[in-house]
Amino acid sequence: MEKLKTLSDFKELKERLDAGREPDRPTIIIPAGTCGQASGANDLIRAAKREIIARELSEKVRLVITGCHGFCQMEPSVLVEPARTFYPRVDTKGMARIVEAVAQGKVVEELLFLDPATGKRIEKQDDMPFFKKQARTILARSERVDPIRLYHYFESGGYSSLVKVLEKGNRAWVIEEIKASGLRGRGGAGFPTGLKWELLAKQTNGKGKFLVCNADEGDPGAYMDRSVLEGNPHSIIEGMIIGAYGTGATEGVVYVRTEYPLAIKHLRIALRQAREFGLLGENILGSGFSFDIQLVKGAGAFVCGEETALMRSVEGKMGEPRQRPPFPTERGIQGKPTAINNVETWANVPIIFTEGAKAFAKVGTKGNSGTKIFSLVGKVQNTGLVEVPMGITIGEIVQEIGAGPSGKAPIKAVQTGGPSGGCIPAAKFSLPIDYESLTQAGSIMGSGGMIVMDERTCMVDVAKYFTNFLKDESCGKCFTCRKGTQRMWEILDDISRGKGTLAHLDLLQELGEVVKDTTMCQLGQTAPNPVLSTLKYFRDEYLEHIQKKRCPAGVCKDLILYSISQKCTGCLACIKSCPSEAITGKAKEVHVIDAKKCIKCGACLAVCKYDAVVVT
Amino acid sequence: MMKPFVLVEGGLKKYRGLCSTCDNSITCTFPRDPNLPVMECEEFQGETISPEVTMSIVEKHEDEQGKLISILEDMQTRYGYLPESALKVVAEGTGQSLVDVYGVATFYKAFSLKPRGKHLISACLGTACHVRNAPRVVEEFERQLRLKPGEMTPDKQFTLETVNCLGACALGPIVVVDGHYFSQVDTPQVKRIIQRAKSGLDKTDVKADEKIFPVKVRCPHCNRSLMDSSHPLDGNPSIRVTASFGTAHGALWLSSLYGSYTVESEDEIPRDTVLNFFCPHCHAELLGAANCVECGAPMIPMIVKEGGMVKICSRQGCKGHLLDLEGVNW
Repeated sequence: MEKLKTLSDFKELKERLDAGREPDRPTIIIPAGTCGQASGANDLIRAAKREIIARELSEKVRLVITGCHGFCQMEPSVLVEPARTFYPRVDTKGMARIVEAVAQGKVVEELLFLDPATGKRIEKQDDMPFFKKQARTILARSERVDPIRLYHYFESGGYSSLVKVLEKGNRAWVIEEIKASGLRGRGGAGFPTGLKWELLAKQTNGKGKFLVCNADEGDPGAYMDRSVLEGNPHSIIEGMIIGAYGTGATEGVVYVRTEYPLAIKHLRIALRQAREFGLLGENILGSGFSFDIQLVKGAGAFVCGEETALMRSVEGKMGEPRQRPPFPTERGIQGKPTAINNVETWANVPIIFTEGAKAFAKVGTKGNSGTKIFSLVGKVQNTGLVEVPMGITIGEIVQEIGAGPSGKAPIKAVQTGGPSGGCIPAAKFSLPIDYESLTQAGSIMGSGGMIVMDERTCMVDVAKYFTNFLKDESCGKCFTCRKGTQRMWEILDDISRGKGTLAHLDLLQELGEVVKDTTMCQLGQTAPNPVLSTLKYFRDEYLEHIQKKRCPAGVCKDLILYSISQKCTGCLACIKSCPSEAITGKAKEVHVIDAKKCIKCGACLAVCKYDAVVVT
Repeated sequence: MMKPFVLVEGGLKKYRGLCSTCDNSITCTFPRDPNLPVMECEEFQGETISPEVTMSIVEKHEDEQGKLISILEDMQTRYGYLPESALKVVAEGTGQSLVDVYGVATFYKAFSLKPRGKHLISACLGTACHVRNAPRVVEEFERQLRLKPGEMTPDKQFTLETVNCLGACALGPIVVVDGHYFSQVDTPQVKRIIQRAKSGLDKTDVKADEKIFPVKVRCPHCNRSLMDSSHPLDGNPSIRVTASFGTAHGALWLSSLYGSYTVESEDEIPRDTVLNFFCPHCHAELLGAANCVECGAPMIPMIVKEGGMVKICSRQGCKGHLLDLEGVNW
């Protein structure tokens, strides 16, 4: 360990690292974020190490373990640099073959990605439909960096933005650059980051100021913050140090939700490294400026993503929001001025200073500059994290990057913005993605969850799901949110059970508008969005539930029946899959479902190759 | 951090196997029967709740920002849940009212006021999992275990919980059992997952598992081999080093299998002790690797014959070890 005391110390180290770099040396990269590890990346790492040692290849082949690259569905995957060969869903045997091939400069043809659209194998990652349309700046950085190795981050240009800023030595310039870049908050609301920093910088407070990284990614279905924290924690730290320099903040906090153990671990290691190298603490790189960051773990409360609730949680209290103004930049944690930005916002800061504000502003559209990461999940063929320029249409993401529906049913809608957002129907897929268009369509940008729904997804059920989520997560401070979400859920539950009436729809609409108008924080103000947007675009589905007592998507349990048609070939597959032993029948004879025993789990439907299972 | 079992065998203290039930626990008690599989340690029964232990947790977080949440988190790790008596001690120790402490303990989902079972099953109910049939998966767990989310089975084996999002949305539905992730779970899998949890998810068969393989190491100073074929462990030559702590100074044998945590030593080493390691040939101290990513103690470097380095954590019982093919610290 060598503490860096001056800017030239850093430059010397960087030069030394650059001189030792071998960009042409074949490198096997294994992404091992939470999703990678869940699919078996740890086994691949061991297999690769074993193979490299057994064949004495450690001089020839380099092995790098990184965070998530984004194409989570294909994990455990392997990327080979500098050729950029991509191998999807590798097993330990395949890993051994890849190691051998890489050492010989070859490619294992049979293990390459098979494009289902063309039936051809694709070698390079950048030629794959999933990656082609993306504009990967933040995610591309995670491809090169082992999150627990600071030197990797240095080598990929890390902390050079900080050095640039400290060399310039002009705090006002930092804020001007951020303003010029047009960066807006990636947490969902899209508040201009430069303006927020300016407000904080203007505050004069002798007791200090706070900068917070909001990593309480509560939106179910969005996980880009986890990916960035796990895969490149130093980029967040660097962004925050630059922010602190520009705004004069003295203390930093990263508030991470407790459901992300790997992100917490990697961030902890990164913070320790940054302190040991003198990048955090007193007199950073001899600039005379001091700043440190502490990690605060959440304890499982969605509302703590709201900034005033988050501040109370950091203080160790119940995470109840409070009235604004005073805004956090005036009165924040412990009464000190505080600016709170989302993980992805912070990850953009070093990029702005590397590329320059003007270059950054060129990506995307006017008023919506830069890229945005979405988690493209649900009923779509390619699922994972996609980073796209702002202004791209929903259709391009779903149909081209996502390659259309995952099953036989066509895509019906996408849900953006999580529980605060809404559902956008397929007819509106030509909508460009920016903060304003999504809000106009009755949804919001949110933190970037994009859940694709097909004809087998029931919109009443989706609305009920989100309302159930929100009634549990409402902190209870405002009456209309506490009781309104509860009552809305009860009505939706009735409708999903076939007990709804037409009057219920008017009541839902009215309740939704009241909750929107009369609650204090963003949670309550946006809580009715899932209900109101589905009522607006999918009213016919509600009517079907109410008038015909049926669920057209075949989801609402009380309104459906499973049966087996004459198409059944008697293959026994469904009998084996049924967890409740509700299906009987002999081989080569049509099977029968006992409606009393059937738990309507859909296991038979999933295994039947002959479309014989019918939901009515 | 993992704590080893101690078996006394022929004058040598043996540390064999590691308890996987109490991965997060600060103190692990020893197993009822050393021959039982590792999952059978008594820790999951919960530690005796004592005011002294609770106070020591309170004191540990004395100067922290927003300490109450950290205190409760530590306490939950220690006891498995938040017992009423301990909450009273926390209120006294922090000078906050019991109402405030109770308020925080009930506000956040991560805290449980009820004891939890030996195995914790967390089923994700995030949006992406929801549209992929996660509710039916949860129902199947309910049916198999005969309980509702938030409840524990009468035999104290399982607690079922639902969580809002675990952030592995592309692989949903996700179920996490004792820290192990299961992806794309469907209803027929539920029974198998429960069975696997019962038989122990962390158990590995050192002999049959191809992911566990031997490495040969050398002293980074004198380059002499540290392998000791006269003292085999796990059926392979062991790695012999000299370890010291306090006034004790003696031989220590480590399994040479990457993935095995078997250790034997001449002296009985109290858990959590950070040891100093020396080469048995040149007596130079083995030092210089970065700190352990798990616990922060110094890591001990040893050269791998075929290239790269093995680094092991110097803290007795810590699972931190790394086979680093590049041999770079940072």
